[in-house]
Parts: sequence; structure tokens; C-alpha cells
Amino acid sequence: MKNKLLILPSIFFAIILSIFFYLLITERNPSEIPSNLLNKNVPFFEAESLFKNEKFISSQELKNEIILVNFFATWCKPCRDEHVYIKRFSNKKGIKVIGINYKDDSKKTIEWLKNLGNPYSDVLIDKNGRVAIDWGVYGIPETFIVNPSGIIKYRHVGPITSKIYKKINLIINENK
Amino acid sequence: MKINNTNSLILTRILIMSLAFFIIQFFLNVSYAVEPDEILKNQEYELRARNISGNIRCMICQNQSIDESNAPLAKDLRILIRNKIKEGSNDKEIYKFLTDRYGDFILLKPPFDLNTLSLWFLPFIFLLLGIYIVLYHNKKSK
Repeated sequence: MKNKLLILPSIFFAIILSIFFYLLITERNPSEIPSNLLNKNVPFFEAESLFKNEKFISSQELKNEIILVNFFATWCKPCRDEHVYIKRFSNKKGIKVIGINYKDDSKKTIEWLKNLGNPYSDVLIDKNGRVAIDWGVYGIPETFIVNPSGIIKYRHVGPITSKIYKKINLIINENK
Repeated sequence: MKINNTNSLILTRILIMSLAFFIIQFFLNVSYAVEPDEILKNQEYELRARNISGNIRCMICQNQSIDESNAPLAKDLRILIRNKIKEGSNDKEIYKFLTDRYGDFILLKPPFDLNTLSLWFLPFIFLLLGIYIVLYHNKKSK
């Protein structure tokens, strides 16, 4: 009987150990928070455009095609790193790339885009970070995929790497 | 004998000093990040804002509330909460506004619902299990 009692904690310990081991080997970032906006409608917002003279109204523009929404700033180094991938997305057919310029200086942004190339079909100005709050953004760069019905299908926090680039491509193809 | 005496004297001094240190720490440790220009004139409003901010997680620091955090986003949210209060939103509406955008994760205290049921009840289940095992074990060894 006593032996049975000794076995029980060892089994329990083994279970806990295997759970921890599983969490260790699976690739995950514990500080990354799932978006509350996934599978929901794009938040409604209005913003000034950096290059166009008209006001951008989300409900009119974010529909009918797959849209990649990218929050970026010139002061953000990872944004520069992921710029290559944003450019690759803008070269693809059937996808529109929109940039939201987060708490930045417009002059610097124009210069930055001139130097690195402008992959965005429209750049919106989010001077005080209010639009970012509506999207639940907490650290730029952040990238969202919106399907043609205006539903958010994917969100990535942090710079796009080659791995994430492939993942986003899969999601784009799924939603075409 | 004399040496012993001074030794114990030093010991008591150290004890009293460390005790004082902890008591002072206890009262001083309440540090806030709210800046003077953020504070609302209406004291009742300000109190509500402070209360809400204390329950909202800073998404950048993650283990601090936005009331304690110096992160720019925490400041933005503090100001946003104060603006909402001034516009006449009630506390429930403000919490909803924030959880709609950032999810339940933004609340420092997880809400009591179906998803978090295990989080709230597992400790009690483990406690009962432990009590049961101890009692069972005692009975057997008698």
C-alpha cells in the first residue's frame, strides 16, 4: 500500500516535467499576446494621408481585397529590417499594402521612404498613437492581414523575418 | 563577557535598523508614474482614473500597471482613460473599450468566466487533493 503512495507523486512529477519540457521545445514567445481583434472587423478610424490630400476612412478603404496593414516608424530599427519583406509583399498581385506611420515626423518619413523605397499604396499618419490603440497595437512594428470582407485574419508583433514572411504568404493564399 | 555584550548590542542595532528600513520601504515603495500635467482637476474623476489605471496592465512591461509604468503607451492609455471619464463614460465602458482592443490580458486580474474557470478553481482542487492524500496516508500508517 505504501509503495502505491510513493508511485503517485512520481507519476505526478513526471507529468509536470513532460508539460514543462513540451512548452520548452515548442516554439512560442510567452510575452506575445494573441490579438483580440482576430476574426473581427477592422476597427473604424479616420486618418490623414501622408501623400494624398483626402482623408482616409477605414470602412471605405479596407475592403474588397487582401490588405496588409503595417505599423511602422522611422525611429524604429526593426521596421527598417523588415522593410525588404514589406516591399516584396507590395510587388505581389492582388494585395494592397497600407502603412500606418506611428508617432513620427512626416518630413523624416518622406525622406526614409525615398531612401528605402515606398512599398505602401497609402501611408497614414498616426501622430498621437490613437489609431494604434484602436488596433490593439503595443509595440511596433506590427503587421495585420485583412481579408476582402474586412475581417482581420492575422496579426504579427515584431519585425517580419523570412519565417514570418512565408507564414503570411500562406495566410494570404488561404484568404484569396 | 564584555565582548558578548557589544556583540548583542550591534546585533540589536542591526535588527532595529533593518526593521526601520522595511517599515520605511513599505510606505515609500508606492511609486507612481502619473505626471503632474496628466492629473485631472476634478478630484473625484482623478480618483476614478487612478483606480482604473491600477487595474490595467501595461502591455509593454506586462507586470506593471499603467499607473506605475513610464512606458509611452501607458501614458497614452492614462490620458485616454482620463479623457473618457471627462466625456462621461462610466468605468464599465472604459474597461470594455480597453478589453475590446487588447483582450482580457490588459486586466491585471483575470475575469471570472468559462475560460478562466480552471485558473480560479485548480488551486482549491489541488488543496483538497493534498488534504485527502495526507489524511489517507495518516490513516494507513496508523
